[in-house]
Amino acid sequence: MSFFKVNENCNGCLACVQNCPASALNYFDQEDSRQILHNMSLCARCGHCWRVCPQDAIEFKYLLTGRFDVVTTLDLVHCKVCGEPIYTASLGDTVSKNTQKTIEALCPDHKGSEPVNVWKKLATKRASQ
Amino acid sequence: MIVGEHKPIEEIIESVKEYKNVLVVGCQTCVAVSLTGGDRAAKTMTQALTHVFKNSKTLHLFEDSLLARQCEKDWIESFFDLPEGIDAILSLACGAGVQTMADVFKGIPVLPGLNTTFLGALDEPGILNEKCAGCGDCLLGLTGGICPIARCAKRLLNGPCGGSSKGKCEISISLGRDVECAWHLIVERLKELGKLDNYEKISGAKNWTPGGAGGPRQLVHPGETPF
Repeated sequence: MSFFKVNENCNGCLACVQNCPASALNYFDQEDSRQILHNMSLCARCGHCWRVCPQDAIEFKYLLTGRFDVVTTLDLVHCKVCGEPIYTASLGDTVSKNTQKTIEALCPDHKGSEPVNVWKKLATKRASQ
Repeated sequence: MIVGEHKPIEEIIESVKEYKNVLVVGCQTCVAVSLTGGDRAAKTMTQALTHVFKNSKTLHLFEDSLLARQCEKDWIESFFDLPEGIDAILSLACGAGVQTMADVFKGIPVLPGLNTTFLGALDEPGILNEKCAGCGDCLLGLTGGICPIARCAKRLLNGPCGGSSKGKCEISISLGRDVECAWHLIVERLKELGKLDNYEKISGAKNWTPGGAGGPRQLVHPGETPF
């Protein structure tokens, strides 16, 4: 995801490419089109491109604010009692493996309470009374 | 990396107490890396000050905000919206950032929340050491990549002094610190490089003009002319 955005004023003059001190901008000419390229990893966010652009085409605010990208998605384990998300299934596996213990899916609030099965029995008993 | 340390909270409290609506502004570049001026530091400072003034009769409102870099005047002018009613800014930037903010917001006091301390390197996670004093006339090519200006307490050009003991600096020992003697390190490094003859070269008096003794320094970078 690139946060380097240019508006319709860009005329492809390459002032930004020539002046980028981090070599984060480049261009690619093929047949009858020119692409302006930006590499987020190289970008120092120095704003030099924005300053030198004779067309006011660079929407620099996007580079300053950015946004969060999803980098990975993992399965969650929820508290057996209240349903609050507590940790990922993968983290639970790692901890179980390292400690050689089975971890009960309980949030900090319910960890010290009676075991879930007992609690469930009690709840059922109370409900039936 | 420019390193800054938090000013003592008592000093910050004293500096903001006369203002009613203070904006704490972090800087997301150098001092964010030294964990004193970034987003988290601004939020923590805001919470701390809110807590301190919570029982104060005078209304104190603390908000926090952030700039990617406080030392770029045109960024501040173009992209930073000062909330209405702010009557002081507490800047968690280095001295360059504080001064740039003060230059932009001329009618509002800009107070420093940090003491800008040194140009440092992250030698180990969480440990930043001073490595450069910005003296403007780099000697590192002669000294095996170890700076006697920044790393020798006496800034000796021809060291070590008589206080170097077992590779440690006497000044640091007197202050209860354990700092290696820069000239000891230089000699050891020159030995490794086979450049010990550099050590025999006597350095003359250093010209401190490029180091700031000639007044504030300036770099003019014209950039390339577009087609």
